[in-house]
Formats: sequence, C-alpha cells, structure tokens
Amino acid sequence: MEEIKTYIESGILELYASGGLNSAERLEVEAMLVKHPSLKAELDEIEKSLEQYAASYAVEPSAQLRQKVLGSLAFSESKHVAPEAGIINFAAPRQSAFFRYAFAASVALLLLSVVAIAVLYSRLQNTQQQLAVLQTSNQQFTNRVNYLNTEVDRQQMVLGVLRNPQYKMIRLAGTAQAPDASMVVAFNPAKKDVVIDLAALNMPENDADHQYQLWALVDGKPVDLGVFDKKDEDGMKKMKALENAQAFAVTLEPRGGSVSPTMEQMMVMGAI
Amino acid sequence: MYATKTFPLSKKKLALSENELVLALRQRDKIGAEALYDMYSSSLYGIIFRIVQHDEIAEDLLQEAFVKIWNSFASFDSSKGRLFTWMVNIARNLSIDKIRSKDFRNNSKNQDIENAVNFIDEQRSTAINPDILGVKELVQKLKPEQKSILDLVYFRGYTHVEAAEELGIPLGTVKTRMRMAIMTLRKFFN
Repeated sequence: MEEIKTYIESGILELYASGGLNSAERLEVEAMLVKHPSLKAELDEIEKSLEQYAASYAVEPSAQLRQKVLGSLAFSESKHVAPEAGIINFAAPRQSAFFRYAFAASVALLLLSVVAIAVLYSRLQNTQQQLAVLQTSNQQFTNRVNYLNTEVDRQQMVLGVLRNPQYKMIRLAGTAQAPDASMVVAFNPAKKDVVIDLAALNMPENDADHQYQLWALVDGKPVDLGVFDKKDEDGMKKMKALENAQAFAVTLEPRGGSVSPTMEQMMVMGAI
Repeated sequence: MYATKTFPLSKKKLALSENELVLALRQRDKIGAEALYDMYSSSLYGIIFRIVQHDEIAEDLLQEAFVKIWNSFASFDSSKGRLFTWMVNIARNLSIDKIRSKDFRNNSKNQDIENAVNFIDEQRSTAINPDILGVKELVQKLKPEQKSILDLVYFRGYTHVEAAEELGIPLGTVKTRMRMAIMTLRKFFN
C-alpha cells in the first residue's frame, strides 16, 4: 500500500490523465492500473476534475456543425464495413445507383431505337413497292395515252380527208385479174394531194418480193404515185403529189416499184 | 432504451451516463453519436479552439475528431481511463498536428498563439460558458505556476519533459506542480 501511495503522490497519474506522458510512460501506467485496481479510482477522480476544467473552458461550435458532424458518421446500418471504408461507401452506392439507372436508361433507349428503325424500315419497303407498282401503272397509262394520241391523229387525218369537200373520193374497182378487189383514192387537185384509205383497202395480200404501185393516168400516160403494202398500217397514206389526172390504177410490181406499169398485173382501176 | 435527460446547456441536447453512452457507441447507434456530440462537442471545441485559434479550422478539426472517435471507437478501453480523456487525446493530437503542419504555419492569418492564449482565456472563457460557475474564482484559486503547467500539458499537448524545458524547471517539479494543480481542481469542483 505504501508503494501505491508513493506512486499516487508522484503526480504520474495526473500527467497520464492530462496527456503529458510519452507512449512508453503511458504503457507503464496502464500496466500499474491493471496490477493495482485501487489506482483506477484515483485516476477516475483526476480525470473527472480535468473534464470539468475543460468544460469550464467549453466553447459552443456553430449550430450547423452538429448536422455536418453527424452526417459524416456511418451509423449501425453499415457497421459490418470497416469504419474508414464506411465513409467512402456511404457516398459510393448513390453514385453507382446513378450509373445503374443511366445504363438502364441507355439500354431502354437503344431497344426503342432498334424497334423504331425496324418499323421505319418495313414502312420504307412497303412504300418502295407501292412506288414501283405506281410507276408501272403510270407507264401503262402513258403507253395507252400515246397509243390513243396516235390513233386520234390518224382518225383526225381520216376525218380531215373525208370531211374536206375539196377531196374527190375515187373508187377503184377490181379488174379481171382481181374481180373482188376495190379501194378508194382521195384526190385534192387544189392541193395536189393524193391519199389512199388503207382501212378501205380490199385487195389480196402481196408477198415480200412484190408491192402494189399506184398510178395516175394523165393525158393517157401513166404517172408513178408511189408504192404501198397491203400490210401497211390502217388509216390514210399520203402518196406522191399530183396536179391533174383522169384515172387511177394499181398494179402489182416487184418490190420498190417499176418505171412503167405492168399492165397484166393491174389489180384495180377507176376513172374520175 | 437509454435514460436520456436534458442537458443543462440546451433543451434539445441529449445526455447519457458514460456507461450508456459507451454501450450506444459500441453498437454504433445514431443516438450514441448524437449524445456524444451534445455532451462533449463544446468541451472538445474549447480545447481545439485554444490550440488553433481559428473558427473554421477548429470546426473542421472537431468534425475530424468526431469521425476518428466514431470510427476507432473499438480501440477505446475503459480500463485505461475515462471516455472524455480518450477523446481529448484524439482532439488534442489532431489539433497539434494541424498547427505543426506547413500550410498552417504559412498562413499569415493565424495569430501568434503564445500571445493569444491569455487573451482568449480572458475574453471567452467566462463569456461563452456562463453555466459553469466561478471560472474566475477557479483561476484565482489556481496559482499561476499551476495554471501554466496545466495549460501547457492539458491544452497544448506538452509532455512533462517538454514542459520542464519550456518552464526551465526540473522534471520532478513539473510532476508536483501538476499534482497540486489537479488537487486544487478536485477540491474546487467537489
């Protein structure tokens, strides 16, 4: 007991409590505390008085510091985590949650874009097909219109000839060569126009080596007015110009026509 | 769960007995942290402020001290001393590390600490904590040489060897003066 009393009176416990010892000296005091529990009561009294001394010099920190300090402590929810790491972890999940949401949003956006592209692509395909169909039918209509225009022109020409009183319609009748043959020649002396109506042509087919040749009899002499085929298109065919004539005749001649008519091959003839 | 009572300084403050507080802190309960702050923040801040003499730095250090206390609470051993003593050591060491750091010494705003301490004692101690009675009376009871050894060691972190050098007195005298100073405190507070 005497030893403990001396130890207490040395003032070492006061230095221990007020933080005035180095670490080796502190360890010695701690060893003594374990060895002599009665020292603990003395130390406790010393510490309490220092605590009150500190309290008499207490200064209130600013009011908002409380929330800041408590906010920087990790409470029992995260007590399994190492304390130092706990502070870092406290903020970390929030950040990773943000990235998780951002990632999910990106993936959703990507899927949405893929779907939108697929829909747009199929619509584009449909549109292109429809466009092709429309172009084809447009071409058909164009062809039809062209055909009809040609037809109308031709009919206009026929009508122009038929309605014009200046034209003389000369009917050529079949000869002994072709008794059933007949055709019509339209002659306009004022305009020196000679036109044949192929639609009203009633003649045997000519072969590839021969053609029909139209002649005019002018003052007893035959004048060449050009050649034609039975197979020529319908409508009116304009022949060579002629001022005056008494009769028309058609002979079958070698292809390209002859200089003078082959009288044995005369198919039709008619006088004005 | 804990027998909480109102702390005399403020209505909102929590206070627990030391055993209850230690239990709550070991369980890392929020109420433990709140009680710890309410019971000790002003005492710890007073000590930190006396060392660094700067509001902002002192508040940063107080926060740092609480984080360290909270995170290293497992190393607190009540057989080696009281909770407050352990916390003061943490706060004091952080503050001393701070004023010895280069960036602190280079900051011209920081006052000359040697000259400031007495000024602070006179200006703030009574004014800021009027609930603690008789600080002036206490200061009168403490002999100046007792007060200076107490402040050097307890508030400014001098070891007894450093204090002996600073004051130019033998080591044994440092110990006796410290013992006398604390005897005076004990008598005064009882």
